[in-house]
Amino acid sequence: MKHIIRRLLPLALSAALTVGMTGTLAVSAEEHYDVYNYDRWEEAVPSQAGYLAARSVSGEDLGIGDFSEPSDIFRDAYDQFFIVDTKNDRIVVTNSELTEVVMVMEDFTMPDGSVTHLKSPEGIYVSPETDLVYIADYNNSRVLVCDYDCNVTMELTKPSSELFSQELTFLPQKVLADKAGNVYIVLGNITTGAAMFNNEGEFVGYYGANTVEATSQVIANYFWKLISTEEMRSRQARTVPSGITNFDLDDEGFIYTCTQSTSQKKDTVKKLNPAGTNLFSSLETSWGDIQSVYDANTNKNYQSMICDIEISDDGNINCLDLTSGRVFQYDEEGELLFIFGSSSDQLGGFTEVAALESYGNEILVVDTRKNTVTIFEETDFGRIVHDATVKYNGGYYEEALDPWFEVLQYDGNYRRAFLGISAAYLVQGNYEGSMKYAKLADSPYRYNRAFEGWRQEWLTEHTSLVVIVLLVIAAAAVAWSIYRKKHPKDRSKYDVTHAGPVREEE
Amino acid sequence: MMDLTAREWVTHSITHPFEGFEDMRWKKAGSIKIASVIVILWFIASIFYNRLYGFQFYTQPDKMFNVIPYIVQTIILFLTWVVGNWSICTLLDGEGTVRNIYIYSAYALIPYVASIYIDVFLSHFLIRDEMVFIQAVRIIGLLWTVVLVFSAIKSVHQYSVLKTILAIVLTIAAMLIMLFLLVLLLSLFQQVYVFIYSIYTELAYRLKV
Repeated sequence: MKHIIRRLLPLALSAALTVGMTGTLAVSAEEHYDVYNYDRWEEAVPSQAGYLAARSVSGEDLGIGDFSEPSDIFRDAYDQFFIVDTKNDRIVVTNSELTEVVMVMEDFTMPDGSVTHLKSPEGIYVSPETDLVYIADYNNSRVLVCDYDCNVTMELTKPSSELFSQELTFLPQKVLADKAGNVYIVLGNITTGAAMFNNEGEFVGYYGANTVEATSQVIANYFWKLISTEEMRSRQARTVPSGITNFDLDDEGFIYTCTQSTSQKKDTVKKLNPAGTNLFSSLETSWGDIQSVYDANTNKNYQSMICDIEISDDGNINCLDLTSGRVFQYDEEGELLFIFGSSSDQLGGFTEVAALESYGNEILVVDTRKNTVTIFEETDFGRIVHDATVKYNGGYYEEALDPWFEVLQYDGNYRRAFLGISAAYLVQGNYEGSMKYAKLADSPYRYNRAFEGWRQEWLTEHTSLVVIVLLVIAAAAVAWSIYRKKHPKDRSKYDVTHAGPVREEE
Repeated sequence: MMDLTAREWVTHSITHPFEGFEDMRWKKAGSIKIASVIVILWFIASIFYNRLYGFQFYTQPDKMFNVIPYIVQTIILFLTWVVGNWSICTLLDGEGTVRNIYIYSAYALIPYVASIYIDVFLSHFLIRDEMVFIQAVRIIGLLWTVVLVFSAIKSVHQYSVLKTILAIVLTIAAMLIMLFLLVLLLSLFQQVYVFIYSIYTELAYRLKV
């Protein structure tokens, strides 16, 4: 981070100067941390803020007493927020502005009429199709499925199936239900993926497990296992993959998982199709901070650990980094858009983040130590970038041209804008412009396509010229060979055996 | 017979892979000047290859440019080859002098160096789909140079085929040893420098206090 600051200063100064002179651009400088983004060489460069912390809401503000270690937040189909207030054993439902409490879910009526309570719930999901609320009731070892009036319709407990190891306790942390009513549960002590239940509450199997990366240590362990005795083997640490930490569902029914791990580097974010195949496996995106980043506020080096993932309505992927308290926003193709948030005490800084949720142009982040929900609002810059990205991803390259140019006015380093402009010009047939912006974006692939068009155009325009040049060259070659035949070289003076000029040369 | 200018010897040797160098040796031809020009052209080619390549094939980040690696990869590498080959072949009854090894090896490089220039030129006219042409030029240039190097070493030392192969393998080993010693030397000097510098800072600090 230090070198970023050093580089940032002159840039910030010049930016301030230009703004001071023109006075048209609204540059936000309200963050207490350095806003940055990654360039093509995976180096952090200063950038404009896409989101700004607007306010933070505590339980006291809502008039229901402080939250105690809230651990999840979810927005239902009616734009109400469900906040899991873990240590208070309740679910707080608020309106979309987070100004009023709609209801507090504490007492649940079981089908037989008895009343039951939650014990450290950790996750929540509300199905938009059936309006059923799924609550991961951690310390009660169950998942409750109920309606908005707290009438429990189903209770998922430890399956008696052979597939589920009976020695393990059932510790549901996060829960999700797809359109077909299948329930996916992230369990605290299971590394083989999310437990999957069908809509009748029967355990079906596991879904979306991570694989063990073939690091040098894993390979060495495998080798030692081959030659060690049974007793030695029993004392050895087993190689198990990291379990998935959190997940979210997008509109098309794909499940995105994230893995919070210090050892796992690859596939920390996955996009899974119903068969469980990772559609992001070919992406080169490194999720979270690329290098471990030095933070001046806490004087530590950090490696990103993605603890929550959320797909917003326009398809952007928001990842929450536990170590740095930063939110990384990617577009649907895994291209980094914005980085915001920090670990600090000010507004927009966090002590220990737990969950995030999006609502329109807002991002909400739950801090489990500060017991607050912080609301980030899109800046002008963020709005323009999102506008351009949505158009670009929808294939409306030309319509995205204007917003991309506007983006460049805010941040002349924003590589996505150069790519977008290059694509738009290519569609328009402006090959030279496309080549220019592909070069600025440093994208040989895009340049290649523009160059192909440009070459085609140039050749059709200058066909006669090309033919003439080729003819002239051929004629010159023929003339030269005829001349050489008529005037052969005098060989005698080069005869090296008689001390010719060759010897003199040295 | 075989009364050629210095320049004509170059074309003769590289277009006659089996006899060219033998003829040149028999006529005691070959110019150090031309050989040096070829090596320097190789060095320039390696820079062109990284800096002037068509952008559609571009992979090198150009945030900074350092000329030292290019010198090491071409000129130093070539000199190591010459010295390594001479030291090995002196022990293996080779007849070549350092001067001849230098000249013949440099001449043998011509197809490879030319292929680099042709590739850099072509890369400004072709697109990625047509990359096969660039690769073809590259492979032809490389293979041609390999054949020529073999022929050059064979004729400069008057070796048999097997002995030439042995000599080339040993030369590569010798080059590795030389590079290893060079690195060792550099790191030792580095440590001496650090030692002297720390004495200097210590003294400067004492004098100040």
